[in-house]
Amino acid sequence: MKRIILRLYVTGTTPRSVKAIANLKAVCEGELEGNVDLQIIDVLEHPQWAEDEKIFATPTLIKEIPPPLRRLIGDLSDKERVLLGLEIVEAIESNKAGKQPPDDPE
Amino acid sequence: MSSRILVIDDDAFIRKSFILALEDTGYQVDTVESGEKGIEMEQNNPYDLIFLDLKMPGLNGVETLRELRKIDMAVPIYIVTAFHKEFFEGLKKAGEDGMDFELVKKPIGAAHIVLVAKSALEGTTGY
Repeated sequence: MKRIILRLYVTGTTPRSVKAIANLKAVCEGELEGNVDLQIIDVLEHPQWAEDEKIFATPTLIKEIPPPLRRLIGDLSDKERVLLGLEIVEAIESNKAGKQPPDDPE
Repeated sequence: MSSRILVIDDDAFIRKSFILALEDTGYQVDTVESGEKGIEMEQNNPYDLIFLDLKMPGLNGVETLRELRKIDMAVPIYIVTAFHKEFFEGLKKAGEDGMDFELVKKPIGAAHIVLVAKSALEGTTGY
């Protein structure tokens, strides 16, 4: 499976943020089989980073690689919604079937 | 029954913006102009989602958050604020004290209001 780069913008260590982080880590270790570079950003500590990324609410998850870039808002508790929203289901299924996913257009 | 949303903001234009943005969603939206009134509304009939302005006369957003959490620990509360570090000191302390909240960036447009409401009430939403 291709390496996946994710960034999760959260609000400090509030219970909802902690829950979103735990939910995402479960997906990363489970369905995504650890093929993830995950960066967690606290908006309370780094508001300018959130501004630069045009984040308008927390928690927000961004999938940067592989393209297309996708953004999700919410506590990430529904694994199916997370995987579908990130558009990486095809990559997982291809991996399970022992096939290579199609190359990116570029 | 449709989900109920409370908007607490001293700015009438902002309150109207939330009503207009959410009018076609089926959610029931109530607005009040102060933290004191918002606490009273939540006490009388709990909401499913609250948008709370950070900078208000009287009880500010952090003080209102602390009072709302005494009434209801579970309701999602989104603090509506500009993303500036100097605004976040009170929020950081509230977070360290176990107050649960999320952030919505001010100013916020209609499409983003709908996205945040849907993600809070119906589950993770992509865009």
